[in-house]
Amino acid sequence: MKIKYIPIFTDDIDGQVKFFIDNLGFEVCDKKNLLTSRECVIMQTTSPDIFMLIAKDYGYDTRRCNIVVSTDDCLNDYHQLKLAGIQFYNEPQYSPTGLRAEFSDPSGNRCLLIEERNYTDLT
Amino acid sequence: MEYLRTLRNNNVIYSGTRNNYNQQTTSDFSIRFVFSGNERYNIGKRQLSIHNDSFLILNKGTHYTSTVESAIPVQSLGISFDDKFLQDFKNSWQLKDDTLLNLNKYPSINRYEHEFDETIYPFKGDLFFNVNHLKHHLDRGLQDELLINEYLHHCLINYFQIFNEEIFQKAQRLNFLSKSTKIEILRRLNLAKEYLYSNYNTNVSLDELAEYACLSVTHLLRTFRQAFHQTPHQFLVQIRLQRAKDLLKNTDYPVNEIVNMVGFDCPSSFIRLFKDRFQTTPLKYRLSF
Repeated sequence: MKIKYIPIFTDDIDGQVKFFIDNLGFEVCDKKNLLTSRECVIMQTTSPDIFMLIAKDYGYDTRRCNIVVSTDDCLNDYHQLKLAGIQFYNEPQYSPTGLRAEFSDPSGNRCLLIEERNYTDLT
Repeated sequence: MEYLRTLRNNNVIYSGTRNNYNQQTTSDFSIRFVFSGNERYNIGKRQLSIHNDSFLILNKGTHYTSTVESAIPVQSLGISFDDKFLQDFKNSWQLKDDTLLNLNKYPSINRYEHEFDETIYPFKGDLFFNVNHLKHHLDRGLQDELLINEYLHHCLINYFQIFNEEIFQKAQRLNFLSKSTKIEILRRLNLAKEYLYSNYNTNVSLDELAEYACLSVTHLLRTFRQAFHQTPHQFLVQIRLQRAKDLLKNTDYPVNEIVNMVGFDCPSSFIRLFKDRFQTTPLKYRLSF
């Protein structure tokens, strides 16, 4: 497991993207629906394995994820984290981008565990 | 690596290199995969061949023989689901509002399921990922049965999703008023598909395909296109290309030999079709590994 995405929620996606491009040298590399029902602009940071997720801020939202943890085997990590006593909000669920489950850290921050799957490689 | 794992709940997983078998009977509903080579199953008069792009469902009590017909070692995986595990799974999914089976829309799914499911399906999507993860862990000696059963539970979710896509969603595309007619036609079209999956490397004629599917040639062509949005020939070419791709990646056979092995007559048309589908030539594809 590793942190791959840093979510940023904003009213002004274009402005936020411009800020990162102009000031930090990040680049837009994709758009994906990684967070539930939110299309996110994905920006490559200067670290090759870390990306920013720029998503629309819909105001107060208790289901907003603060951390996105990437895994190559969601079922296995879900199982191991559950054994370690981590509280999950849901069982692993399928989405167009892969398999995902959300859990809470001790402070109540919502974290998304996601196994991205490239279904197009299979055809 | 060869192993046979019988879990405490009587689910059984077999992995290994298959040899020729005598006649067998499945004791439980089971799913059969191969990861390299191909394995042929004889069920009654049907001869079904599975490769690494497809899987086979066998119902409880089915009599079959299986043989290996492959130049390369055949790595296979079989999962048998205990009745109680399977029934618990079905009950839990039927009680969910957002069930993948969509039982409100298709209330007869249980009635048709048994009739339909014993055939070849594409090994794709989440089932592909979950089965590969499971095999990876089992090959390394995973003992945690809770985790193994979690994977098995998800394999069933994924299988029923594929079943729903391949049967009910495609039946909806057929231009017949009667639901039972749609289902019956799709059952026969699936026979045509399993014939193509199993005989892709032979000179398949439309007449013998139609006869196997118990449809007239005209009816087969029209309904196949409606259900699958491609002709039987296009579907056959797709299988041949996919299997050629696998041979290019995993064997050292010369391209010309692969052309013959997958049933193409002419190397130049194979190269053109391969390039159209995968945006690269067979040789470049092989060199990319």
